[in-house]
Amino acid sequence: MSAPGKKVFELFVSKIPWTLGTKEVKEYFGQFGHVRKCLLPFDKGTGFHKGFCWIGYTTEEGLHNALHKDPHVVEGSKLQVQQNMMPFTWRRMDKEAEES
Amino acid sequence: MAALLRSARALNLSASPLLQIKRTSNHRQTISRFYSRTVGGRGIGVCSRQIISGSFNVKSLSPCSSAWPCSGTRYYGTPAEQKVVARDEPSLGVRNKQSHQFDWALAKLDSSVRRTGRVTKSLLQRIFHDICRTGYPSGNQALLLLRSCGSLLPELPLAERTEFAHHIWGKLLELGAAYDVSHYNALLKVYLQNEFKFSPTEFLAKMEAANVQPNRVTYQRLIAAYCQVGDIEGASKVLGFMKSKDLPITEAVFNSLVTGHSRAGDMESAVNILSVMRGTGIDPGPDTYLALLVAYAEKGDMDKIKETLNQVENTDISLMDRDLMQVVFTLTVAGHQQHVPEVLEHLRHDGGFVPDAMNLCLSLITQGHESTAFMLLKTFPSVQADSQNSNGPDVGNFFLRHCVNTNKSPEELVGFCKGLMDSNLHAAPMQFTLYCALEAKKMAPAIEVMKTMKEEGLPIRPHYFWPLLAQHKRDQNTAGTLEVLKAMQELSTEPDIDTYCNYVLRTFPSVDSARTALAVLGCMVPHWSFLGLSAVSSPSLPAIDIGVFRGNLIAAYFLLVHVCTGNLVPPRPENMAYFLYHLFDGMSETEVQAKEEVLREYLQQLHKKGICIPVNIYRGIRNILDSHHVPELIKVPLLCNCYTELNQEVASSSHTCLPSLPAGCSHSRVQQRTALIFKRLISAVCAEENLPRALELKAEHEDKMSPSCYALLINLCCRHDNPEEALNLKRELARMDSEATLDVNKYMSLLRVLSKHNRLEVDILKEMKEKDVVVKDTAVVLLFHTFSAVALRGDVAALRRLQDTTFALGLAKPTSNLCSPMVTMYLEKGDFAGALEAVMECETQYHQLPRIHDVLCGIVKKGDTELLQKAMDFVSQQRGEMTVLYDLFFAFLQTGRYREARKIIETPGLRAKPGRLQWYAEKCIGSNQMEALETMVDLTAKLFECDRDEMYHYLLCLCKDTNDWSKAEAVWTKMQEENVIPRERTLRLLADIFKTNNQEVPFEVPEVKQPSSVTAFSSVAYAVLYTSRSSAEAYNVLKEAERLGKALVPACYDALIKALLSSGSMEDAMAVKDIKQTCLSLSFPDALASLKTMLQMDQVPSQLALTRLVQGLGNHGDIKGIQEVASLIKSLSPSLNMSSMLFVNNMALAHIKNGDLERALEDLESLYTQTADHSQQSIAFVFRKVVEAHNDEAFDKLRTMAERLCHQFASYKPATDLFLQCLDTGRVEEARQLLQVASLRQRLRPFSISRGAAQTCRIKNLLELIPDFAEKELVYAYMMKCHAMDKNLEAAKALYRRMQAEGLQMNELSLKRLAQLYKKAGEPVPFEEPPETFKFYADKLKASTLPSPEDD
Repeated sequence: MSAPGKKVFELFVSKIPWTLGTKEVKEYFGQFGHVRKCLLPFDKGTGFHKGFCWIGYTTEEGLHNALHKDPHVVEGSKLQVQQNMMPFTWRRMDKEAEES
Repeated sequence: MAALLRSARALNLSASPLLQIKRTSNHRQTISRFYSRTVGGRGIGVCSRQIISGSFNVKSLSPCSSAWPCSGTRYYGTPAEQKVVARDEPSLGVRNKQSHQFDWALAKLDSSVRRTGRVTKSLLQRIFHDICRTGYPSGNQALLLLRSCGSLLPELPLAERTEFAHHIWGKLLELGAAYDVSHYNALLKVYLQNEFKFSPTEFLAKMEAANVQPNRVTYQRLIAAYCQVGDIEGASKVLGFMKSKDLPITEAVFNSLVTGHSRAGDMESAVNILSVMRGTGIDPGPDTYLALLVAYAEKGDMDKIKETLNQVENTDISLMDRDLMQVVFTLTVAGHQQHVPEVLEHLRHDGGFVPDAMNLCLSLITQGHESTAFMLLKTFPSVQADSQNSNGPDVGNFFLRHCVNTNKSPEELVGFCKGLMDSNLHAAPMQFTLYCALEAKKMAPAIEVMKTMKEEGLPIRPHYFWPLLAQHKRDQNTAGTLEVLKAMQELSTEPDIDTYCNYVLRTFPSVDSARTALAVLGCMVPHWSFLGLSAVSSPSLPAIDIGVFRGNLIAAYFLLVHVCTGNLVPPRPENMAYFLYHLFDGMSETEVQAKEEVLREYLQQLHKKGICIPVNIYRGIRNILDSHHVPELIKVPLLCNCYTELNQEVASSSHTCLPSLPAGCSHSRVQQRTALIFKRLISAVCAEENLPRALELKAEHEDKMSPSCYALLINLCCRHDNPEEALNLKRELARMDSEATLDVNKYMSLLRVLSKHNRLEVDILKEMKEKDVVVKDTAVVLLFHTFSAVALRGDVAALRRLQDTTFALGLAKPTSNLCSPMVTMYLEKGDFAGALEAVMECETQYHQLPRIHDVLCGIVKKGDTELLQKAMDFVSQQRGEMTVLYDLFFAFLQTGRYREARKIIETPGLRAKPGRLQWYAEKCIGSNQMEALETMVDLTAKLFECDRDEMYHYLLCLCKDTNDWSKAEAVWTKMQEENVIPRERTLRLLADIFKTNNQEVPFEVPEVKQPSSVTAFSSVAYAVLYTSRSSAEAYNVLKEAERLGKALVPACYDALIKALLSSGSMEDAMAVKDIKQTCLSLSFPDALASLKTMLQMDQVPSQLALTRLVQGLGNHGDIKGIQEVASLIKSLSPSLNMSSMLFVNNMALAHIKNGDLERALEDLESLYTQTADHSQQSIAFVFRKVVEAHNDEAFDKLRTMAERLCHQFASYKPATDLFLQCLDTGRVEEARQLLQVASLRQRLRPFSISRGAAQTCRIKNLLELIPDFAEKELVYAYMMKCHAMDKNLEAAKALYRRMQAEGLQMNELSLKRLAQLYKKAGEPVPFEEPPETFKFYADKLKASTLPSPEDD
């Protein structure tokens, strides 16, 4: 496997209510471990976010803590949380380059 | 008529004071006069509801006043106009394709109406816009649009709806829509629903000018229009006219008159109408009482309302919630809100309550009565927060949104929110209201709601303001932006970096102007947030999260594209797809639309550079472009290729489920000529039905008897009802060859004869089981006849034994049909109790309810209530209440007890079951029961979710069968009355009935695309072959095709030959072979000629047909032909998505066929040496054809060429294709050589194996050749798929063990497959089966492999 720093512990979260912003989502998922990245894409045309986001933990533990909690209810809305199975392209390509 | 009415108007004017006094008596006379002459007034039953709503200004009641605005009629076109409008029609072919594009949109509109009883303005506008943009609206598209402009738009004020209808009318007329009477009637309905005041005389005049004949529905609606304004005189004139034309006067007319009198201020006459109705033989229906109730509601007479409701309860009429809602609406609009709660108590909350109540709420809000609407909202059932979704209740979203959209005051909004929270209907109404306000970019209510939220202690976050800022950014409205910032300050919400970067700063023309403006406001802008702006220009930025800048970078990149469209491909082409996705994702709808041309050009450039996009990313891009309403962009070649690929994917997956061909013939086994001759002799004698002679022959030539001869003889004995001899022969056959098996049909005839003589049939069944004889298709029918024959004898014991053995052995599934003979036996005897017992037994044993309909009909006819109760209880317990209700409904219809049938179908909560309705309709059509069918269509008019067009289509089918055009015309009129939009096929059927009776078709008949005759005949032949397995019928189709000089697709001939051979028709098979040869050898020049004619006639040939044609030409070495086709379809090719390789490959094959191998190689090689990119160019087809033709010379040369291309030009595609082709055809040796010579090992990508069909041998060969294949997991996944398809559990188990041994993880889809294999074999699954569906895992897998690179 590649260098340990490359390893990613990511969640894919959907059904996020519009009232939550990046800060709130990051805060909520921060309770399970240190959040390295929180990407909640907004549609610049409408000003609303798209209802899903990626949460990256620094440690595997954080990821597991988050996955073990069910349900995730924030401000009365249930979020759908799953491990991110769709890593980004460049990451995959890097991996392939290293393997071959 | 128009003239007549005009004079009536004049008369009315002068005589009005006089008439006013004696109106009542005068009118009564009119009615009794015309009614004495109406016969069978009930002739046409269903009356649509003329729901007349809204308040009425009494002063405007005066008839014929100048208050009729002319604007209403401004839009009608006269025939002259209709013809003058230049219709520069494009070719019919293109027009056909265009019309298909809208079908989904119209279906969407239609389904919205069916589900919710309303459409949104935006959906309607979008569809209208789409139709206008592409032009050529068809008649029923226009009808659907027009119809939607009335009460289906509760969110729009009445005047706006009519305006929209007029806009549509005018615009479509301009575009060449042809209006017929149904359109005028629909417009009238819209006028009535919108209470639009117009002049009926002028309306008729316009119709007359357009040469459209008014019909019964037109007059009925004109009467309603007069009545709506209380003009009884006008209504009477039209009535008189209807009478003179002998048009039937239906309930609807009387209902209008009730309204008319009441609006004229004469309640006494209004009430009197009911007795007049009864006097003429029409019972007042629910709509009559509704009209009366509405009349009282307008006056606010609550006592009378209650009295009428009681009166209704004593009849067998039931008013639906929808009717009472009409009363609520009228009470409110007329200013008697105080009575509303009392009416609300009468609501039953049945089936369609929620959608109807929602529509009422919306209408009330639109017309400014939101407090009554809120009262109604509070009666909504509170949805319990289900465990699946722990989100709180959210009843009333639609209410809040509409209140925001109709600009209700912020105080009111807040009041409703609090009300909803207090009654526990909604958990977060404030947030939702805010969301609606933001979505609609309404600043004032948004800020007000936020203020309240703040007071309530709810958080206010910076991103709540972004939608408002985004709007100002788009408009470059700095003032607006500053206003929002000020509001943020007031709400003490600090803008964050994203707010500044993404929304605020980019609104200002420059960084400096932003800084100054913000400084005035006192905003402390962190200086580094200005970096966001400058990111585009300065690449030497400190490392900040790239995500923040991605949008900017892409936008900047696009600007560059804009400036110098040309050589712009990102350094890594494989990332192009992602780049494009983000590019489209980052652009707003308006941006994309504005830059559509530039984008198109850019995409085309990329296409030329050979950039290709993986299918799954293409899906994403397509969705974005769809949502941006630029579907045209998807048709750019770059994206188009993906589109075809996607289609092929779908096509190939459906292809694999085709049934396999019948087994090959057994003739090949017969080797000795004498044996053959003997068999022919036997079959000839059998064909003559000469049993003694056949047995004689057998005795003479015992030694020449083959199993097939025995089979023929046994069958003959069965036909001659000779079980003794048949059994003898069978024993002899078993002695001769214990393996010999009769085919299923012969077993069936044997069974029939034996059971007839009550002998040993159980043994035969057991033998069939042992020999694995499968009973299906036609054999099941034979089995059924056997059962029926036993039933006919009345031998209960024998029948039971036969049935039970058959089902217990699993020879045939216990279907309703196979179980029915037992029931039939009792029915024949008239023993309904026995029949019911038999049905109940079947249900308990086999879960079938055979002939329950007939049993119920019998019981109903007999009037045995006790037995009926028993049957109902049983069915209800077994199948649920819904099934019983339908069973009863049909039984009552069948026995002519329509009153009872109506009662049943009006059961609250009952919804349409299309399958059941279809069953009964087809039964009626089959047995020509017009009355029963018509009654069913009438009674289901108000059935929840009933597809009305479908219902009328059934009626028309029967009209077609009986060739009754006048009935068909009446059906069409009825459809207009009920406001049903016919689908195209319904209109075509109707037109067909008119045409066959030499009647003029009174509407525009939708065009129909003619399928090419070759495919049409082929598919018919295929269908016959596969559905009935009757080769003889398929042969007839073929002969018919031959007579007409049409050829079929070759595969079809082959299938037919096989089928004929297997059924023993050698001669027919030979005949087919001859036909095939003559047809196919002739057909290519013919096909070419017909292609030319097609193109001249503006028909677009199918892609498949063209492909076949070109392949056929290639096969025949017809180079000129291919060139001709290529040039013929050149102009069409962008719309056809034809691969250029089709022509290249087939040209090469044609050269090879003509012996010009060198030329072929030259062409193919230049393909790879002269163009830069060849990832899309596959010559696999050439390889395959050469291998199939065993053309070794060509194969060798091609192989050399492929190797050369590898070495000299680094072009690995041909070699890869050849390698895979070798694997497919089992040429493992050649594949191995190729692998070594061409050093292909590293070039093989999982992509290439996934392309081919999953074939075990192919994958095995691959693994054998390349044991260290990189993507092992993928290969194993495909192997698992193969094993699953072969149902090979053992191999699958082995694979699983192997993967575990190699430490590989099996994916969920494969695990699921394995688990299914275990289950099918009845073994326990030794691991936890993945819980979701196959599709779920397949999609998941697809998603996870999405970024798989496709280089090389």
